[in-house]
Amino acid sequence: MSAYRMTDLIDDRPTDGVFRINRALFSDPDLFDLEQRHIFEGGWVFVGMACQAEKPHDFFTGFIGRVPILVSRSGEGALNGFINACPHKGARIAQQCSGNARLHVCPYHSWTFDSAGTNRNIKWKSAGSYGAGFDREDHDLARIPRFGEYRGFLFASLNPDVPSLDDYLGEARKLIDLLVDQSSDGVELVPGAVRFTYAANWKMQLENCSDQYHFTSTHPSYIRILEARAKEQKNEVVQSTLGGSDFWKEDAAGPTGGTFSFAHGHVLNWGLMAVTPALPLFERADEIAARVGAERRNWMFNMRNLTIFPNLQIAENASSQLRVIRPVAHNYTEMQTWCIAPRGESAEARRMRIRQYEDFFNPTGMATPDDTVAYEECQAGMARQERPWLQGHARGLAASVEGGNAYSDMIGLHPERSVLGQAQTGDESLFHSYYRAWASRMREALA
Amino acid sequence: MTDQMLREAEALLYREALLLDEGSYDAWLDLFTPDTEFWMPAWRNESEQTSDPDSELSLIYYQGRSNLEDRVRRVRSGLSIASKVRLRVMHAISNVLVTAQTPDSASISSCFTVHLVDVRAGRTHTFFGRYEHELVRTDRGWRISRKVIRLLNDVVPTLLDFYSI
Repeated sequence: MSAYRMTDLIDDRPTDGVFRINRALFSDPDLFDLEQRHIFEGGWVFVGMACQAEKPHDFFTGFIGRVPILVSRSGEGALNGFINACPHKGARIAQQCSGNARLHVCPYHSWTFDSAGTNRNIKWKSAGSYGAGFDREDHDLARIPRFGEYRGFLFASLNPDVPSLDDYLGEARKLIDLLVDQSSDGVELVPGAVRFTYAANWKMQLENCSDQYHFTSTHPSYIRILEARAKEQKNEVVQSTLGGSDFWKEDAAGPTGGTFSFAHGHVLNWGLMAVTPALPLFERADEIAARVGAERRNWMFNMRNLTIFPNLQIAENASSQLRVIRPVAHNYTEMQTWCIAPRGESAEARRMRIRQYEDFFNPTGMATPDDTVAYEECQAGMARQERPWLQGHARGLAASVEGGNAYSDMIGLHPERSVLGQAQTGDESLFHSYYRAWASRMREALA
Repeated sequence: MTDQMLREAEALLYREALLLDEGSYDAWLDLFTPDTEFWMPAWRNESEQTSDPDSELSLIYYQGRSNLEDRVRRVRSGLSIASKVRLRVMHAISNVLVTAQTPDSASISSCFTVHLVDVRAGRTHTFFGRYEHELVRTDRGWRISRKVIRLLNDVVPTLLDFYSI
């Protein structure tokens, strides 16, 4: 049991208009260990895309918390999740990020497993003089207790005692639909994965994706470039999707976007964007409207940052990104990122999407480093101090209402709470959903 | 001819390295042709890099020097927290080879090691890999019409800007 009580860490008093987070959530190594066990290893997390193992015997590897995993498609085409560790001595049986293998042979003592996880050989079994108890043990690869797919997105839980995946994702499924339905053939990951690290807590990234308040302060150098490019209209530079939209501009009038919060910690922040040629999706605007209706089509053109708690973020703003957050230490995080795109788009649309992506999302681009350096600066200020409470979760609290609004009604979306934002609202109350989910998973570890 | 080319190529690559180390970005930009291609591919998996920048992701891909001018403008703008304290960098170039040559063009292969100190964060790092330069002869001397940066250690610690590779 931790030395902390929950009320020391999260000051959640809606009726008093108070929501505060203790800096310890970002800086305490003991709390981080509890998070690994109870959040990442204690419930549903995103593990990858079905398209990463498309054909029979395809596999990919990764981690859930600190536990190595293997996702493998069997010869019959079924996807399964396993602990990527030999039952014999624990060696990872698959070392590559991805590949195709009918059989996985452990590199240490050659125990062999098929692509469905079944043990096919224990080397020198009959000469091994095993005791009677050995045959009563299960020698197959250990299955991850819960494993499921929603429209190509794979989730797994090391804890068997969790709600069904459909219940877990809930209304957020409709937001995954808005991505997947951009093509009648679904989505794919553009070849080329980009990984980067930053020396700060994983929740900095969790919040930043949903933080509309930071954009004009953290990214003015990028905004200036966009403005200059919009004026010059040179062929050799790629125009931004954001250049022609107002949702992030300080002087825009009327509602410009907002936030939705869902059960289990999922959130969306969004901004109004028109159906314009600045988005690669424009080439199929009519086809999509005919297939899914004009209102859902229009929503696909809105800027949308979706978080599926705790580790998946899908950012559709300057381009389209799939991000996976991998916490390594209380002050160190690894990000795995891909460009996610509708299948079958034209070569020109794909080129534009990729160019827009690289400039904004890459750690080698013109925006992400300003975020990650800011996270590190925040981490410095998370050190234990006399005033433990952060003041970063308070904006929008008085604007937050139960249920949805006209914009969610358009697509039959039913959030638990919503904020309809003006240009300068910069809602932070959507973060509450993260910390309520955090509290729910951490409850058994904290008094 | 080849020895002469090798000496001229080395001189250009060393000069480029020095300009980046010193932060002399205008002189650095002047080494590139206006239609230059600047490309740092990403990795598809453990052993293969992406090879088609129009259908696969790159870490950086630009056609046209004005994109590099944008990058320079950004780090000088005073509006980027990641660029506020410039990293101290040292480019070491080695293993320079002339791999193809005509009277007015040359293909150059080399290795790079960039040592850098992020003074703000108190950390040091080394990026390493290979460069491929395409050079063209102009009335102002050799200019770079294409530069490919094959970064081997591609997990980026927080940031990587044009001057740190």
